[in-house]
Amino acid sequence: MRQELIEQLGNIAKIILTLAAALLLGAVIMWATGQDALNAYQVLWDSAVGNQRNIANTLLAATPIIMTGMATLIAFRAGIFNIGVEGSLYVGAFAAAYVGFTFVTAPGWILIPACLLAGGLVGGLWGFIPGVLKARLRVDEVVTTLLLNYVAILLTSYLVTGPFLVPGMANAMSAEIAEQAQLPRLIERSQLNAGFFIALASVVWVGFTIRRLTLGYEIRTVGSNPVFARWSGIPVGRVIMQVMFISGFIGGIAGAVQVMGVNYRFIGGFSRGLGFDGITVALLGRNTPIGTMLAALFFGGLRNGGSTMEMFTQVPRDLVDILQAVIILFVAIDLTLTWTRLRRRSSGPGSDAKAQVEAQPAEATS
Amino acid sequence: MSPELIANLLASTLRLATPLILAAMAGLLSYQVGLINIALEGFMLAGAFVAVAAAFTFGANWLGILLACVVGGVLGAVFALFVTQFRANLIITGLAINFLALGITAYLMQVWYGTSGTFAPEEVDSLANVVIPIIHDLPFLGRVVSGHSPLVYISWIMIPVASVFLYLTLPGTYIRATGENPEAVQTAGISVTGMRYLALILGGMLCGLAGAHLSLSELGLFRENMTNGRGFIALAAVYFAAGKPLLAAAACLLFGLFEALQFRLQAASDVPPQFFQMLPYIVVILTLVIISVRTEWRKGWS
Repeated sequence: MRQELIEQLGNIAKIILTLAAALLLGAVIMWATGQDALNAYQVLWDSAVGNQRNIANTLLAATPIIMTGMATLIAFRAGIFNIGVEGSLYVGAFAAAYVGFTFVTAPGWILIPACLLAGGLVGGLWGFIPGVLKARLRVDEVVTTLLLNYVAILLTSYLVTGPFLVPGMANAMSAEIAEQAQLPRLIERSQLNAGFFIALASVVWVGFTIRRLTLGYEIRTVGSNPVFARWSGIPVGRVIMQVMFISGFIGGIAGAVQVMGVNYRFIGGFSRGLGFDGITVALLGRNTPIGTMLAALFFGGLRNGGSTMEMFTQVPRDLVDILQAVIILFVAIDLTLTWTRLRRRSSGPGSDAKAQVEAQPAEATS
Repeated sequence: MSPELIANLLASTLRLATPLILAAMAGLLSYQVGLINIALEGFMLAGAFVAVAAAFTFGANWLGILLACVVGGVLGAVFALFVTQFRANLIITGLAINFLALGITAYLMQVWYGTSGTFAPEEVDSLANVVIPIIHDLPFLGRVVSGHSPLVYISWIMIPVASVFLYLTLPGTYIRATGENPEAVQTAGISVTGMRYLALILGGMLCGLAGAHLSLSELGLFRENMTNGRGFIALAAVYFAAGKPLLAAAACLLFGLFEALQFRLQAASDVPPQFFQMLPYIVVILTLVIISVRTEWRKGWS
């Protein structure tokens, strides 16, 4: 128990150090390019958490990232490198929009769950495709999930420029969803909506599944030791497919919530990397639900504050992308160091090479 | 379709395939050394930006190409440093490098040149097209093959160069051996780390060229995220070809044709442009499935 506590505190310290180092490097980049870094961070901070409305907007920006983070996390836990959450998000968003603008006469208490469910199911099926390919045919999931993202983006953008184009609209977007399908706003002058609670529910649900359910035990075992999992009778293939469906399901719900809570319609190419933000926060949060949620809130602040910073200083919001990259790099190094140390502690230096291989689940399988 | 239209279509196929071919040659070096290179996209984007920025600053396009190459190589070395010495996860590092390239190019474009979206300095001209002496005057062939940017021809040269390098030279053989069996290579006294560095640095340089083609060959401008997924299409071509240079180049030509068709057919027919944009990805996913099924079949569905 005490050991665990110390390890947890160590993790938190590391995360804070990572963030501090990234912010420092960001400051160096700003200084090197002649910008006032302190002022930029000041503005960023103020516009992220300065007043009630800014905090609401940060929570709004964090909402989809929390969910894509959970979607990524549960796959990571099973040792599956699902970088296709972005794709699930797109198809899920379209499915939700479709239900929302088609069944306009249905009452809200039916329509809202129906939209969410449609988004989740279609997103889940989208994740299920590479899941089946991996589980049954051993097709490496990294490449397939990555490429399916592009298919999803193009497919949905075709749907809203072709069959579901709204007459008179210049841009690729669907019709507006029925008013009773729109998620209620929480405070005035911010788009923050009930979707935030759906995001929180996803954290609780993922945490509960991983810790308490048999499926969670199976996921963790498959992730940490697939050979042992097989020998102890866990149906590894089935677990992989289930996890990919769940991961896609949460990603799809994230897309649905963006449609139902923010845009009220499907807009082609709307996401701009929310799925990839999910990967970042899952890594930063060390694959724990709470950690990932906190990381997502932090990133929500960066994204929200970044846009305001761009307006009031000379620093472009692309700085946030740079910070994101630096954070991922730091986490990537740190994860491996931790990995190797754990391995050494448990079975001597001989297993070092193996740790390297396992820490890179996606080496070319030719 | 008239012969003239076909000639135009083929000529633009060649131009559109060029960055894919260069990046695919980079990707297959990584593939052969046993690493998935997700960062092709980021290397290319950095190369595209550096090419225009350097051409603008120094007033010489060739310096732009050279520096794009250098920066690509440096990024390749950084990537290698992370995945070998720091033992960072390949995919995570690759994604991070893509974010870094996307963020830094957009950031610098705004901070240095005060524009967001597109940087199109009037001072930078596109590269002068190469006119091949006799072939240029041939009726059909001349229109297809001659009169492209020099980088188009460099990309053609790179295909046999990559082939010869990988299969007939010692370093190339070591690179392939490292991908096949790193322990054996290590035992033979060859540095696995060194081979990974070599493959990734050379790959970065090729991607720098690919980026320079995107920004300098046609218009002489840089657009935010102008690679637009081409690095992943190139990676897809590598997987389609299972790391073979000639086959990968053929796949790139095919994907270039899809892209060229998409522009032509957009106005003339009902085929949605997204259909052609989607094709490369779907083709590759199906190929991966077929390859896996075949391997599993041979193993007898163990």
